[in-house]
Amino acid sequence: METFIQQLINGITLGGLYALIALGYTMVYGVIQLINFAHGEFFAAGGYVGVILLSFFTGLGYMETHPILCLAAAFVLTMGYCAFLAIGVEKVAYKPLRRQSRLAALLSALGMSIFLSNGLMLTQGVYDKAYPGELFQGGINLGMIRIGYLQMMIVGMTIFLLFGLNILVFKTKIGMAMRATAQDKIMSSLVSISSNRIISLTFGIGAGLAAAAGIMVGLYYGSVRYDMGFLPGIKAFAAAVLGGIGNITGAMLGGLIIGMVEIFGAGYISGQYKDVFAFIILISVLYFKPTGIMGENIDDTRV
Amino acid sequence: MRKKLFIALVLGLMVVPFIMGTATAKTLKIGSMSPLTGPYASDGTDIKNGVLTAIQVFEEAGGIPGYDKIELFPQDTACDPKQAVAAANKLINLEVVGVVGAYCSSSTIPSSEVLAEEDIPMLTPASTNEKVTDRGLPYMFRLCGRDDDQAPAAAKFLKEQLKAKTIFIVDDKTTYSQGLADGVSKAAKALGMEVVEHDHVNQGDKDFAAVLTKAKQANADVFYMSLQGYSPGALMALQAKRLGMTSQIVTQDAMFQPKFMEVAKEAAEGVYLTYGFTDTTTPEYKAFEKIYVPKYGAIAAYATYAYDAATVLLQAIKTAGSTDAAKIKAEIMKMDFDGVAKRIKFRENGDSGSSYIAYKIENGQFVPYWAPEKGLLK
Repeated sequence: METFIQQLINGITLGGLYALIALGYTMVYGVIQLINFAHGEFFAAGGYVGVILLSFFTGLGYMETHPILCLAAAFVLTMGYCAFLAIGVEKVAYKPLRRQSRLAALLSALGMSIFLSNGLMLTQGVYDKAYPGELFQGGINLGMIRIGYLQMMIVGMTIFLLFGLNILVFKTKIGMAMRATAQDKIMSSLVSISSNRIISLTFGIGAGLAAAAGIMVGLYYGSVRYDMGFLPGIKAFAAAVLGGIGNITGAMLGGLIIGMVEIFGAGYISGQYKDVFAFIILISVLYFKPTGIMGENIDDTRV
Repeated sequence: MRKKLFIALVLGLMVVPFIMGTATAKTLKIGSMSPLTGPYASDGTDIKNGVLTAIQVFEEAGGIPGYDKIELFPQDTACDPKQAVAAANKLINLEVVGVVGAYCSSSTIPSSEVLAEEDIPMLTPASTNEKVTDRGLPYMFRLCGRDDDQAPAAAKFLKEQLKAKTIFIVDDKTTYSQGLADGVSKAAKALGMEVVEHDHVNQGDKDFAAVLTKAKQANADVFYMSLQGYSPGALMALQAKRLGMTSQIVTQDAMFQPKFMEVAKEAAEGVYLTYGFTDTTTPEYKAFEKIYVPKYGAIAAYATYAYDAATVLLQAIKTAGSTDAAKIKAEIMKMDFDGVAKRIKFRENGDSGSSYIAYKIENGQFVPYWAPEKGLLK
């Protein structure tokens, strides 16, 4: 039983991270029907900007005096940086191809992914970069069960960001404009919604969430590496498809399911089949319910 | 005038092959193969840097007679057998005279067969799988030790020094890591220890929580970690500590990388690993350190072996005065000298022997701790 609960906690932590990354895929798909394969690289870039900022703060000595403030600043700056990076990528690699076939943009996305990951390798080097110090390393022990402070922080941050996103999309004017653009670009531009601005914004928000996941992964696992975006990117993509690509609630649910399935598969059957389980779920969903568990477009939840 | 121009042109064209001939003859081309991208890029880069250091030392000592310079063609294998074979073919087309590499045993084995067809000597600094030299290729040499030496040494260490009764083994399914894990499992069982479980993870994983939770529950005396590269190893050690796992972590040569401690931080303290003994007090090592460290940073697992491999190759070419594989081999077999990593003397099959001992990580340093013959050191 204790093992079960411990694995459940591990699964929620991992699932939360996948959910954050999956949101970027799903939002971009909702708006321009593009699967942005470069999305995993925004996550990796977030991890790197995070380590650079936190090392800088540690160097200045602020990390010891104001750890929470430094961490918050690192999160805000990193998310901002990656949002702008994504907007730039969109302008360079996707916007010129918007009127071309979808395949052209898809290939451009794959190219961008390779470009960004190799760019990270060339500028940051091939070695792992360690996150500074021991931030929030402790944890609570309940018998055999151990919950790390970082796990709590990841789950807390994830819930906070997901709520924030839900409010943004469903309760604000900007969210309404995003949903309108997703439904019909021409019609929404007739009511003076600039679709270019909305698309940029969508890319920015998605990348910002991925960047937050990047820092949390860096803190949780202790290091980042240039190629860290690839596998989580694919898994998060699976999560987005599982939930019904284009559907925000679906992406969150899909992320959690993939995380759980992976951990339980590895924990109770064998670690070598961890990825297999994640993709078996994906294939069976595509086979039996191609629109994903939440469907592609129910109740206007598409963005 | 026209005629003169024509003659000049013809003469000019006739000279071209000679100029080109001498130009190419004056560069000695050697190749290196190691993963420069992908998850093992760091170890692969160390190998390239080790070879570059050897070339630098040779050139500073006057180079090789008959050649203006020595040029290295570093190839990226990405630890992928297909890419390794492609890299070997590229080196054949470049007409290199010898190759240092590869890193992953799963790359070395197929690419060495391609190189063998062209009689190009290959010296691996890092591939420890037995099959590398057991296939009887005439020009395959190995500077590092073998897994069937490392596994019994590790098992003996577990039994005699750590007095372990139960072991939990994890590998990541590469030729190297799984081969070694199987070897340790077999040797441990032969010595009467119980292997509670032998689980596998995937290459490129970052999250090992599931397997570690299982290992924590099993609570074996020793947690034997057989992974390809320091990077997943450091993550696993860190996560094991955070999860509160109490089993003693024992691991192997791929973790001999100062970056392991940098990433795993205090989780690295007290970890044991088996690695070929390198005396860091010899003048050879000190000389290497003086050149390598300012240029490339801390010395990691395979930089010294790559340096020795390149030195063996270049020295053999120099003394043989030829780039003919058979003559190079004859010189290599005659060698008996103190390299940076170890004493270099090759056996008939191309192995150069191994001297696995156990290291302990103390205060962020690898400290020689135990040797199979001598027991506890110091």
